[in-house]
Amino acid sequence: MKYKIPGALITLGLLGTVALWAHHSPSAEFDMSKRMTLSGTLTKIDWVNPHIMFYIQAKDTGEMWKLESNPPAWFRRVGVNRNDFVKAIGQTVTVEGNRSKDGTPFAYILKITYQDGTSLELVSEGAAAESK
Amino acid sequence: MRNRAFFVIAALAVLALCAAGQQTPAAVKIQRTADGHPDLSGTWLFSIDLPPTALKRQEGGKVTVKGIDASGRRDPKSAPAGALPSAPEPSYKAEYLAKVKDLLDHESKTDPVFYCGKPGVPRIGSPRRIVQLPKEMIFLYEDISGDPYRIIPTDGRPHLADANPSAYGDSVGHWEGDTLVIDVTNFSDDTWFGEGGYFHSDAMRVTERVWRDGENLVWQATVADPKVLAKPWIMPARVVKPSTEPLEESPKCVESDSKLLQNNDHHGQR
Repeated sequence: MKYKIPGALITLGLLGTVALWAHHSPSAEFDMSKRMTLSGTLTKIDWVNPHIMFYIQAKDTGEMWKLESNPPAWFRRVGVNRNDFVKAIGQTVTVEGNRSKDGTPFAYILKITYQDGTSLELVSEGAAAESK
Repeated sequence: MRNRAFFVIAALAVLALCAAGQQTPAAVKIQRTADGHPDLSGTWLFSIDLPPTALKRQEGGKVTVKGIDASGRRDPKSAPAGALPSAPEPSYKAEYLAKVKDLLDHESKTDPVFYCGKPGVPRIGSPRRIVQLPKEMIFLYEDISGDPYRIIPTDGRPHLADANPSAYGDSVGHWEGDTLVIDVTNFSDDTWFGEGGYFHSDAMRVTERVWRDGENLVWQATVADPKVLAKPWIMPARVVKPSTEPLEESPKCVESDSKLLQNNDHHGQR
């Protein structure tokens, strides 16, 4: 199975490494030129393939947003389980990502920050190598 | 002169110690089963495509970054010992080149794997777990389309005469020296054997070769399809590390992006 690459990661210079795995082209679905920010209440997590799904009710408009991210198998291998997100249900979270091109309240999550300041963020492979 | 001799002896001793402590993979003794065949059993690195990204976690003032090991899905730096000369892509008959290009150009909408479809053999790659029995091999996989398994007889029996076509086909295996060779036939024609619009017919036949390279597993497949390919495609070999990570049931697959696609952008147009 293959997955899509988050738009912001393209700007990190990953294009040369992704020939084998991408899912739908993100440029067909998300506005990769802008990184949006959204704050609201995390109401639900769907731990499903090919992308986990977050449901967040926006703090300012009350609009219900649906946001996807990497697949469960990826999260598992970077040490994140479903419970790492479920524990934040009911809390106000802030997320950053790329919004859907069709203008609906849908986006690809690149970073989520909890009330206590804990954050999880998708970064380049190079960042992992540099941290070692 | 005496000092020089001492230096040479000391250097040799150091080299010997280094050699003892750091064996190259090829020098690692291969485990064998009671019947003398290399032991391929075990749990192997997850080698399905995953996003080549890492996770940065900031928690309690501590920052950690963790990536994934995708080596089992990528071309090794050099071909492993025993690998057949490979080609980077298949050669289709001239009359099918336009079809392949059209599928590739619209792959966000045409690739069955994007819609939770089965990757089939050989696209699924190397197995996550191998159970080696005297007369059969059992391959277990983790994949979002389900978690397939294959039971591969190695006792000389022929292919099933009455099996229905399927994404993973009908497999029989045999040993050629220390290499397990698996002949796979009877495929359904609704899978792709690789990204890039690599469609095939019901005449596809796949030969997988699996062997040990030290502590690692090597997997290499050849795709033959006389109806659509100009010649068999020998895929690059994959070197797969052993893993201690247990298999986990894949969550259900719910594709919901397709209705949001605004154009036909494909991977080359990221």
